[in-house]
Amino acid sequence: MSESHDKLLQQYHSERKAAKDTAGLEALRVKYLGKKGEVTELLKGLGKLAPEERKSVGAAINELKNAIQSSIEESMREMALKEQNEKLNAERPDYSLPGLYHSSGSLHPVVQVAREVADIFLSMGFFMAEGPEIEEEYYNFEALNVPSHHPARDMQDTFYIESGQVLRTQTSPVQIRTMEALKPPLKMIGLGKVFRKDSDITHSPMFNQMEGLVVGENISMADLKGTLVMFVENMFGKRPHRFRPSYFPFTEPSAEMDIQCIFCEGKGCKVCKNTGWMEVLGCGMVNPKVFDAVKYDTEKYTGFAFGMGIDRIAMLRYGINDIRLLFSSDVRFLRQF
Amino acid sequence: MKILLSWLKDYIDIQETPEKIAEALNMAGLEVEEVIQPGKNLDQIVVGKILSRDPHPDADKLSLCSVDVNRGQPLQIVCGASNMKAGDKVPVAMIGAKLPGGFEISRAKIRGVESFGMMCSKKELGLSEDHGGLYILDDKASIGENIVKALDLDDVVFDISITPNRGDALSHLGIARELSAIFNLPLHRNPLGDEEGDDNVDNHISVEIEDTDHCPRYGARVVHGIKVGPSPDWLKDRLEKIGLRSINNVVDITNYIMLDIGHPMHAFDLNKIEGNSIIVRNARKDEKIMTLDNVEHPLDSTMLVIADAKKPVALAGVMGGLHSSVTEQTTSVMLEAAFFNPTTVRKTAKRLGMMSDSSYRFERGTNIDNVPIALNEAARLLRQIAGGRPVKGIVDCYPKPEILRQIRVRTKRANRVIGINLTPAQIETFLLRLKLDTRRDGEDLIVSVPPYRHDLELEADIIEEIARMYGYNNIPETLPAITSVLQLPTPLQKICTRLRDHMVSCGFNEIMTYSFIPANINESFREKKPLMLQNPLSEELSAMRTSLKWGMYDALRRNILNDEFNLRLFEIGRVFHPAAGGLSEEYTRLSLGFSGSVNSRDWRRNGENFDLYVVKGIVENIAKLLGLKIKFAPGSYSLFHPTMQMELSAGKNHIGEFGQLHPEFIDNKKMPKCIYIVEIDLGKAAKAAEGCQRMQPIPDLPAIRRDLALLAPESVGNRDISKILTAEGKALLEDCYLFDVYQGKGIEPGFRSLAYSLTFRDLRKTLTDEEIQPLIDKMIGRLDRELSVKLR
Ligand SMILES: [Zn+2]
Repeated sequence: MSESHDKLLQQYHSERKAAKDTAGLEALRVKYLGKKGEVTELLKGLGKLAPEERKSVGAAINELKNAIQSSIEESMREMALKEQNEKLNAERPDYSLPGLYHSSGSLHPVVQVAREVADIFLSMGFFMAEGPEIEEEYYNFEALNVPSHHPARDMQDTFYIESGQVLRTQTSPVQIRTMEALKPPLKMIGLGKVFRKDSDITHSPMFNQMEGLVVGENISMADLKGTLVMFVENMFGKRPHRFRPSYFPFTEPSAEMDIQCIFCEGKGCKVCKNTGWMEVLGCGMVNPKVFDAVKYDTEKYTGFAFGMGIDRIAMLRYGINDIRLLFSSDVRFLRQF
Repeated sequence: MKILLSWLKDYIDIQETPEKIAEALNMAGLEVEEVIQPGKNLDQIVVGKILSRDPHPDADKLSLCSVDVNRGQPLQIVCGASNMKAGDKVPVAMIGAKLPGGFEISRAKIRGVESFGMMCSKKELGLSEDHGGLYILDDKASIGENIVKALDLDDVVFDISITPNRGDALSHLGIARELSAIFNLPLHRNPLGDEEGDDNVDNHISVEIEDTDHCPRYGARVVHGIKVGPSPDWLKDRLEKIGLRSINNVVDITNYIMLDIGHPMHAFDLNKIEGNSIIVRNARKDEKIMTLDNVEHPLDSTMLVIADAKKPVALAGVMGGLHSSVTEQTTSVMLEAAFFNPTTVRKTAKRLGMMSDSSYRFERGTNIDNVPIALNEAARLLRQIAGGRPVKGIVDCYPKPEILRQIRVRTKRANRVIGINLTPAQIETFLLRLKLDTRRDGEDLIVSVPPYRHDLELEADIIEEIARMYGYNNIPETLPAITSVLQLPTPLQKICTRLRDHMVSCGFNEIMTYSFIPANINESFREKKPLMLQNPLSEELSAMRTSLKWGMYDALRRNILNDEFNLRLFEIGRVFHPAAGGLSEEYTRLSLGFSGSVNSRDWRRNGENFDLYVVKGIVENIAKLLGLKIKFAPGSYSLFHPTMQMELSAGKNHIGEFGQLHPEFIDNKKMPKCIYIVEIDLGKAAKAAEGCQRMQPIPDLPAIRRDLALLAPESVGNRDISKILTAEGKALLEDCYLFDVYQGKGIEPGFRSLAYSLTFRDLRKTLTDEEIQPLIDKMIGRLDRELSVKLR
């Protein structure tokens, strides 16, 4: 490359650095490479040279042209990118504005807890059964070994329909209906509303129960304990638990299960009445009289059953202090879940 | 039921702490609700004698007392109470004492005068709720003595909740028996009893039982020479400590025996028993009795009574009659101890709406062997504390003595049910601790059930006793080795789950309302005559809902009155319809409730309120979700605005309806006009839902789109126009939808502009405009001819 070419290239580079935008670069391209551009003019001047010079000078000019061309293209690309970024950065949203399509939907807290409880048992291979809320007295009481005029009826104050049917006081009739329909082995849970004539801050005339039943050959109280401990640990975390003897007409032996109070970790507080324990469910081995009622072979089959108040668990879980709030339909309450 | 620790010690030498005893009872299934230890926090409180009482120099309502507590110099104490005088003995909390409420006594200056302690009321000592001034002690209290000693507060009361199967545990003896089994301690028996006396009881009273099913055993004993009066302190004390009022020595003795050995008794004034005869019989029609509580009860033949020669004198096992009751004038009594059939007593008590300590125990089963024991013990006590002269002998009417129940328990079965591995000998040891006599028969045990254990009927009941003694918490934890039969969720269960999630993501709050609603709601909220409760909690909760609409209306209304105007609520629940034969049918429904703005919190589009079309869109989305082809038609429900409502059907079945609440039900100024309620029967929807569709191939040939802007008279509906467009589009019209409706500026009054987007496609070849144009021309022609709709 000749000295004059060098000079021209240096001149180009200094002008390129001075270019402010893509338009400036375009003007530069015209100035050097356009129809009447300086490099183009140099090429036009080749004809005047002697043929032996022409080849080497021509090659030098082409080298110069290529250098300027690729330099301009690259600068154009960079400049275009820079200009686009400047434009994008000029767009300024108000980051503090709330999002649109605001929705404050919520699942009822009892339904949320019921799902949680059900999921644990469904994972253990249980299935979900249902039954009517208006029940025959037979299914709610007699089949469950609660004859009429038995003091056990005092445990549950019952609503009667004028027809003589009852509003089920427990979900246990679902057990009976399931056993009438299916043969063992079976593991079922039943969920639903139950009704008792009672109303204060811890009692509602309508509340929700989850019931469970396992029947098969060689089902033992040890199986009952293992199953319920697995449930409780998944529901409330690993914590001390205990089983106390109790009485339900449809189970024998019967038990109540306590877990260490989740509020005071066993130290004693108002919620656990200073005992350090909280009752979570009732359970027991199915009374053979119940198997008799559904014509299961009591020699072949044994089983266990359990039941718990879902509302009470929801109240413990969320710190709800009045059960009636659950049925108040108050959105100021519901939107919190 | 309250149980006194010192009383238990009549039967068992138990040295465990009250906490340990309570824990043991709990773990044996006798739930201790409270352990009451009145003396527990009364350490530095002593008996003081007020030597002088003077007014406080600076305060009218305060007194300045000098109190002797037998510790050198009398104490100067400032006191706010006014019921004391010099000479009175009162409890004094010394400096450093901590009252049960947590208050600590320290040296204090009250209105400038120093006070060295505090004189206490019953309430301050935690002994009662009574705050009627200072607790003035008996003059016999010795000065300086610890108050726990002076008031004999060093006793413990257990409040125990006994399950209905354990009638045998409803006494001090019963609890002691349980403790003797738990702690493996010997049980001392028995009440001493007094079988002596002169004369012969048969000369004074005769007993006849009409039906031994109702009353298998009736015993009577006669005591003369009674002086009715107050009970001695020891008896009063025991009764009062467990919350019973002392009445007189005779009544107190019968109550005492009930609490002691669990057998209810009754004492009659012998001179009021006509004909000196007792007949246990059913009441006769038109008979009446005035009971001890001064209430007259008409009787009927289902009730069992104790009668004399002429009339009923007591409701068997429930309550005595007033006429024959013991009064201050009584000198001769006839004591009754009987075994009444639990069901008979319960029926009588229930029918009369009465419950007594006596009926409570009879209903749960008493010990038939205790009849003579109770009578003789009562005779002994009457002789000892009421000057009584018992007549020798008992009239014991017990025609068919009970035979002890025998239950066979198989060791293998017990182990299988509990999940442990005991030997017959180990089981025998457990049962013996429970006073259950056993006999071995190979690997089996034959258990003789004592007459007080009415809960032990079957092998399973004995297995529970074994498990209880083994300790529930010693049983291992295993998992059932079975695989259940498979039961998948029903279609209804599935759509309930899907819908809940769908409604929540659409911004709805789930509500749960009562299944029973007021009986007097407006007919418009009802679908059928509701099933009524026989015994509702209140009028407000007396009818079973026949639809979810009332609950939804009530929920919307109550939220609006709380100034929550923008609402979308949903409920999934059952409704109840009467069915043939006095039965009921249950249907699962979905209800939706709307009020206020569609997007109240949306700053860009907040102006829009719920209206028929928004709600219809939400219903359409639900239909899509459930795979339902829903048909909409104008509805005619009186609950809704006459025109702003629609009925929903799927196939041939009506499945629901929705509409704007009729202004008649907007009964509060706060309620907006536009409140919408939807109700859909999910059972019917689940039946009508279509299964999985086969996939349609994705077209690879291009479509042609055309928009048509039409000018239509107001009376012409989208449905009429769509029908013509679809009909004339024939097989080539792939899609046709309305994308704009406009009325107002630029449009003649009485008309509106409707704009449709049409998509044409031929699946076999590429369409041309030339092929489409004739179809569009035909559409426009028919629209004009039939509906006077023109192209804009
Ligand atoms: Zn606690």
